[in-house]
Amino acid sequence: MTDRVEFRSVTKEYDGNVVVAPLDLSIAAGEFVVLLGPSGSGKTTLLNMIGGFASPSSGRVLIDGQDFTDLPPARRPTATVFQDYALFPHMSLAANVAFGLRMQGMAKPARLAKAEAMLELVGLKGFGKRGVHQLSGGQRQRVALARAMAVEPKVLLLDEPLGALDLALRRQMQEELVRLQKRSGATFVHVTHDQEEAMSIADRIVVVNKGRIEDMGPPDRVYLKPATLFAATFMGESNVLAGRVAAVSSGEIQVETPLGALVVPGSALLASDVHLVLRPEQLQLTPPANGFALGQARVEELSFQGTHCRCHCHMSGQDLVLRAPVSAGLKTGATVTLHAARDDVVVLKA
Amino acid sequence: MVGRFASWAYLGIALLFIFLPVLVLIQFSFQGGMAPVPPFDGPSLRWWAKVMANRKITDGLWNSLLVGLGSAFMATVLGFLAAYAMARKRRRLSGLYQFLLMAPITVSYLIIGMGLQIFFNHLGIGKSLWVIGIGHVVINLPLTFAILYSQLGEHQANIERAAYDLGASDARVVLEITVPMLWPSLLAAFFIAATLSWDEFVIAFLLSRFDVTLPVVIWSMLRSGLSPELNAAGTLVFGISILAVALVELLLWRARRNRA
Repeated sequence: MTDRVEFRSVTKEYDGNVVVAPLDLSIAAGEFVVLLGPSGSGKTTLLNMIGGFASPSSGRVLIDGQDFTDLPPARRPTATVFQDYALFPHMSLAANVAFGLRMQGMAKPARLAKAEAMLELVGLKGFGKRGVHQLSGGQRQRVALARAMAVEPKVLLLDEPLGALDLALRRQMQEELVRLQKRSGATFVHVTHDQEEAMSIADRIVVVNKGRIEDMGPPDRVYLKPATLFAATFMGESNVLAGRVAAVSSGEIQVETPLGALVVPGSALLASDVHLVLRPEQLQLTPPANGFALGQARVEELSFQGTHCRCHCHMSGQDLVLRAPVSAGLKTGATVTLHAARDDVVVLKA
Repeated sequence: MVGRFASWAYLGIALLFIFLPVLVLIQFSFQGGMAPVPPFDGPSLRWWAKVMANRKITDGLWNSLLVGLGSAFMATVLGFLAAYAMARKRRRLSGLYQFLLMAPITVSYLIIGMGLQIFFNHLGIGKSLWVIGIGHVVINLPLTFAILYSQLGEHQANIERAAYDLGASDARVVLEITVPMLWPSLLAAFFIAATLSWDEFVIAFLLSRFDVTLPVVIWSMLRSGLSPELNAAGTLVFGISILAVALVELLLWRARRNRA
């Protein structure tokens, strides 16, 4: 089976600035892919290349095995949900949603019926006659979604569609996006810089930075075993220990770190520089099974977060962040012993 | 308290300074006697009746409307096309093109009128309402261009992109998305251009011979002395301008509200 979307050694330069370095990426049919990266990472450029709003400087963009690199947006089986919604302000909601169907030449009764059904699908049943100005941001977002999905695109492109919504509404829309995607079976490619959003909706996260793919995979794998230091720090918080490999044995290495010598699972060249990565919730106050002690740390700063206490600690010149259970009753200035499970430690080449 | 009073008084005096001559003009169009000077002995509609019966004035009124609406229509169409091209299509040299489009605004009407007179004379084209209309397109194009260009921002571009994305052709995007989206601004540009053409004297004077516009008629009547009839004619010009300006304000207000 061919991939739904395929980038083949695609590059993009604007005025000599490399926005996308040579890049290959395949997206399967029915997949919900999130392109995650900071602003200026090139993620939106990638999205625009699928939709036809940007053309690569070199390389090809394929959809269902066919070369679409040079075709305009109107002739692609894609539809886009824009960040500012881009609804047609002079049309009713029904006319907005039916616009793409009208362009395809669908008869009026059929397209209005379909528009009504699409509005119902996004929870705006009976809103067809209203104008765009009567809607809230969240409602506009839904109309934009209904309008793009009405043409039954093979690939739905979402350009930071939830960026302008408040947190509660964003959570709700995330769930609805997932529901709509499963129901329609379309491929969704979603761009965001919000890593929590990415984790909660994606089948697969593609972490993009400086026009390159840093890491890609299911959210839990990217979070728990990031492939690069960038992925580790961009996808949530991380404690990073810089170190040098002092000894190598089968399946284990000994690393000299500011906290002393640590033996962790992994492989690396002897005397090479590495980073050891541990998530805040992986630093523990009690010894876990198959764990090791990192040493004694002084509690510098505490903040209560409801489910846990966020705690800044200081240990041998190294700052560490951990999530302590509220029941631990930590106090500022206290000394604690930190532990970690061996399997939690991620070893990354420096 | 004193400061508040002073600022209101200042506003009142400023407004009086601006509008008193116009108010006096309007008042004495309803004069009963022969001279538009105090004492006021009206109100009477005799001078208004005389204006309406004066063929020179009614012809001039008609000619002014024709030139105003016609030249405003052309200036709006050309201004829209130029603004659309600058905002959407052109990348290189767009600064130079914008400068050239806006340049006529810096040239006095007298110079433009003279230039057109010499130019048309050279081509062997006689003075007529058509030529006045062309002159008014020249002076109004920078304004319609500037108004419409400012309305074709990135948000509007995204809306057009959405239409392309849903399968619309270039022509359909312009006719079904861009133009309807800009309706209030297009109408505002049209009425501003029409108002300026309606009031314009210098170019209309230099480029007219037999068919003249209302400001030129009023000017020729002024040469034979003051009369309340002139006040009535002037009030007519002012009244129609005010109506057009009010319409523009209404349209722009609606456009702003719709963008929110």
